Amino acid sequence: MAAKVKQLPSRGGTPAEKVYLIEIFKGMAITLKHFLRNLWDNSNLYVRHYPEVQPDIPARWRGRHRLLTHPDGTPKCVACFMCQTNCPADCIMIKAGTRIDGVTEKMPVSFTIDLAECIYCGYCVEACPEDAIRMDTGIYAFTSSNREEMKIGMTEMLSLKGGFPEEEYQKGLEGE
Amino acid sequence: MTNLDIIMVIVRVSISAFVPLCFLAVCVTMERRVAGFIQDRSGPNRAGICGIRAGGLVQNLADGLKLAFKEDIISEHVEHKFLYVLAPIISMAAAIISFALVPFADTLVLDGKSYVMQGIPWDTGILWFLAITGFSVYGIILAGWSSTNKYSLLGALRSASQVISYEIPMGLAVISLLIVYGSINLSDIARFQGQTWLGFIPMWGILLQPLAAVIFIVAAFAECNRTPFDLAEGESELVAGFHLEYSAMKFAVFFMGEYVAMFASSAVIVTLFFGGYNIPFFDTDFLIRNIKPVAFVLLVILPVFMFYFAKWIRRNNRSQYLRENDPRKAEATIYIRCFWILIAIIEVFLLAILAFAQPDTAAAHLLVALMQICTFLIKVTLMLFVYVWVRWTIPRFRYDQLQMLGWQKLLPLALLNIFVTGAIVVALG
Repeated sequence: MAAKVKQLPSRGGTPAEKVYLIEIFKGMAITLKHFLRNLWDNSNLYVRHYPEVQPDIPARWRGRHRLLTHPDGTPKCVACFMCQTNCPADCIMIKAGTRIDGVTEKMPVSFTIDLAECIYCGYCVEACPEDAIRMDTGIYAFTSSNREEMKIGMTEMLSLKGGFPEEEYQKGLEGE
Repeated sequence: MTNLDIIMVIVRVSISAFVPLCFLAVCVTMERRVAGFIQDRSGPNRAGICGIRAGGLVQNLADGLKLAFKEDIISEHVEHKFLYVLAPIISMAAAIISFALVPFADTLVLDGKSYVMQGIPWDTGILWFLAITGFSVYGIILAGWSSTNKYSLLGALRSASQVISYEIPMGLAVISLLIVYGSINLSDIARFQGQTWLGFIPMWGILLQPLAAVIFIVAAFAECNRTPFDLAEGESELVAGFHLEYSAMKFAVFFMGEYVAMFASSAVIVTLFFGGYNIPFFDTDFLIRNIKPVAFVLLVILPVFMFYFAKWIRRNNRSQYLRENDPRKAEATIYIRCFWILIAIIEVFLLAILAFAQPDTAAAHLLVALMQICTFLIKVTLMLFVYVWVRWTIPRFRYDQLQMLGWQKLLPLALLNIFVTGAIVVALG
């Protein structure tokens, strides 16, 4: 297939443009218009007044991770290491143990995600065969003053709730 | 020397030394705010003391404190530590003293003695400005060289060659002005521009010498290392240019020097081309002779202006989202009260002048001088706005384009301007 070539008219060749000063004044008129409009009434600004006004997060947004539970409150995770193997940033650390309640054979003893390393790619969610990890909390801001606090453990991730209704989340998955 | 002489010396020197420094705050706030508004964002609006944000002025205070308390690092590899420390000092000092010869009001007559309203009452005028701004580049060269850093050195080299290229068109533009004004003394130049032509057109430099004005203003931008000529610190190529190795207060001094230089060159541009301290259409003698009507007009205009200004503050100083008991509205009320108190004090003085002052007395002279200082500062603020406006409109030049503009366009134009001006002046006798 031949490359499509689009010829754009070359600008800057006319005498009026070569003087350059005229074009500068045109540009300055545009910026002055913006300046005066905003100076007159600053509600014209195209800004969201974050953090007081929060942005709308769609259901497909990949925020912080959470671990899902069975209806009885036990983790869905079976410690299959799919997410840890898939993780391009190597930020998931799972320690597996035997599950004694008979639901499955294995369960994680500890499940740690280093959020300082995480690149929020969502591969862990896609890799999970049990739908045990999701990134649908809607939390996008996470700060800490030291590195250790950036590692979140299993109890914290189990306690987080999804930020969106289930059907909205499923609708988001269909698009992928 | 009488007491009055000593007081006048103190007043003049302190105005010419401290007004540029006070305008730092204005410059920095204006730079941020105008940049924000031009790009449809709001600029600094968070930092405040007890909710008083003073339109972004408190942000400067916070930044100043931060810079003052930061660790001042001199890297191990800096060999000439003395020159390294000297560089920002030269930059700043040259910027401040380059304003010393700019008149900020007409010659003040008190008790039959006249006082030239300049920091240094000297006749060298514009030559002083050219000399000192030429000197200020030493600060940049020393900074770049003593930093022992490739980026810094390249920035300094660029700055040096840029200043050499642009001093020449600047000097030539000044020559054609001097042919018109017939004096190098900035006070004479400002007084010349107080005249009117055909009774209603002020004889400002920009109308008499439009080409020289364009050349001088472009060259002044280049001298101040401002966009579009800020190649000395072009961050996309040179990281930060000549001040790359500087931190904390030494960097701040460079930064302040840059803004003071901007103020000084705005002041010179205003003096040369925009009538200096002159209030358009009203020369000093007219104002002094008609002091009572002038005071009356001010008395009426100020509250009207303040009324609309208060409305503007109310409209703009509020939260743009739903908020109970909006603290910004309370803040606006405080601002408006402060301004009304200020206006009331001025009104009392004006009333006193209206009631008691006779034309051609000390009070009349002082009021006119104050009005001229205010006019001068308003004009300089507008010129500073142009600096900021241009910076946020025009992208940086490439280096060869910069030299091409300086040598191939501005230099021949400036020479042509001198010949044409000379021919016209000779023809008109």
